[in-house]
Amino acid sequence: MILDAAGIAALYRSHGHVVLRRARGLLGSEADAQEVLQEIFTALVKAPDAVRSVGSMVGWLYQATTHHCLNHLRRARTSARVLQLHVGPATPSAGGSRGEAASEVRRLLALLPDDVATAVVYHHLDGMSHAEVAELLGCSRRQVGYLLERAQGLWNRAEQSA
Amino acid sequence: MNLELALPPWTACLSALRLDRWMMGELEPADAETVRVHVTACAGCSTALAGMRGVREELRSLPLPLALLSRRASWRPRAAWGTLGLAMAAGLLLVLRPAVHTERSKGAAPALAMYVQHGDGVRRAGPGEEVAPGDAVRFAVSTPVHAYVAVLSLDPAGRAFVYFPEGEQAAPVAPGVEVALPLGTRLDATLGEERLLALFCTSPVTLEPVRLQLESTAGTAPLPEGCQGVRWSFVKR
Repeated sequence: MILDAAGIAALYRSHGHVVLRRARGLLGSEADAQEVLQEIFTALVKAPDAVRSVGSMVGWLYQATTHHCLNHLRRARTSARVLQLHVGPATPSAGGSRGEAASEVRRLLALLPDDVATAVVYHHLDGMSHAEVAELLGCSRRQVGYLLERAQGLWNRAEQSA
Repeated sequence: MNLELALPPWTACLSALRLDRWMMGELEPADAETVRVHVTACAGCSTALAGMRGVREELRSLPLPLALLSRRASWRPRAAWGTLGLAMAAGLLLVLRPAVHTERSKGAAPALAMYVQHGDGVRRAGPGEEVAPGDAVRFAVSTPVHAYVAVLSLDPAGRAFVYFPEGEQAAPVAPGVEVALPLGTRLDATLGEERLLALFCTSPVTLEPVRLQLESTAGTAPLPEGCQGVRWSFVKR
């Protein structure tokens, strides 16, 4: 599949919500989620053949979104921003322990190896089964289990050292 | 703490990927039918799906990013709001019905966002979102210019009232993205669809006539002169 400019605009209209929704959940910041949305579709305009051999557009957008979001989290500027996670003007303190924990997880995600972080996102944030994670990562279910165990171990160590 | 507990939970039993693929028509017919039947009967999945559809509607109502827009010969740029449109409108939870052309003036795209606190959690509400009696809500607005702003509501019982401001006239709001309005409210026990109308006006319009008209026209009242409006609804269950 090769998309021309009109095709990419149509794709944005039809599938952009997949990127926006997941970026919001992953980054916890509306501004950053918007930035990722722009990044992904702008990159597609510049390199439309990126989706040339894509079987599932949704799957490709999941991968692209996760990749861009993790990069976002890794940037020091963004990481600093998510420490002050914006949970909405109504109740600034309402995030409570889960909000703080989510920030901690985002910090951890920024430090994890890419495949480990991606597996965590797919499994925990998107509710994917090991088989689904394996399909997107292009690895075995066993490998997914290993990646998730590794993530839990790193999380435990991070908590102990905090 | 378990890693799973630290992350925002995915509460549906089907994964987001599966629901997205189903929504976008990527599943094989038999698999799609399985998902359809399941979603119909599963509260968790249908709620998740409603949230996903809400974001889809939200995005579809927004202008295209400039990077895409400039390459479409047939697209008419929406003036100064171009690139800012998307960034700003991100805050839009509440998406308008684009069919109501008179609601907006050329080039401007005021927006309304709503945050809902349910229990200990705070979320952004989407169009058609289900909320519960007792939930606390607070609004934020985005406007490209100085505007006099008001947020009115028509509740399921047909009663109209003003969420914001407390005074009799629309209150001034400086240009900005997701400017939080100072007043929040807690939802009462009246169940059903509640319709909102956010006004962005060039002058401090008096709100009581607007409120009365909203009530007498069942929410279809025309906008006061010099005002743009954002309309959407949520459902209390």
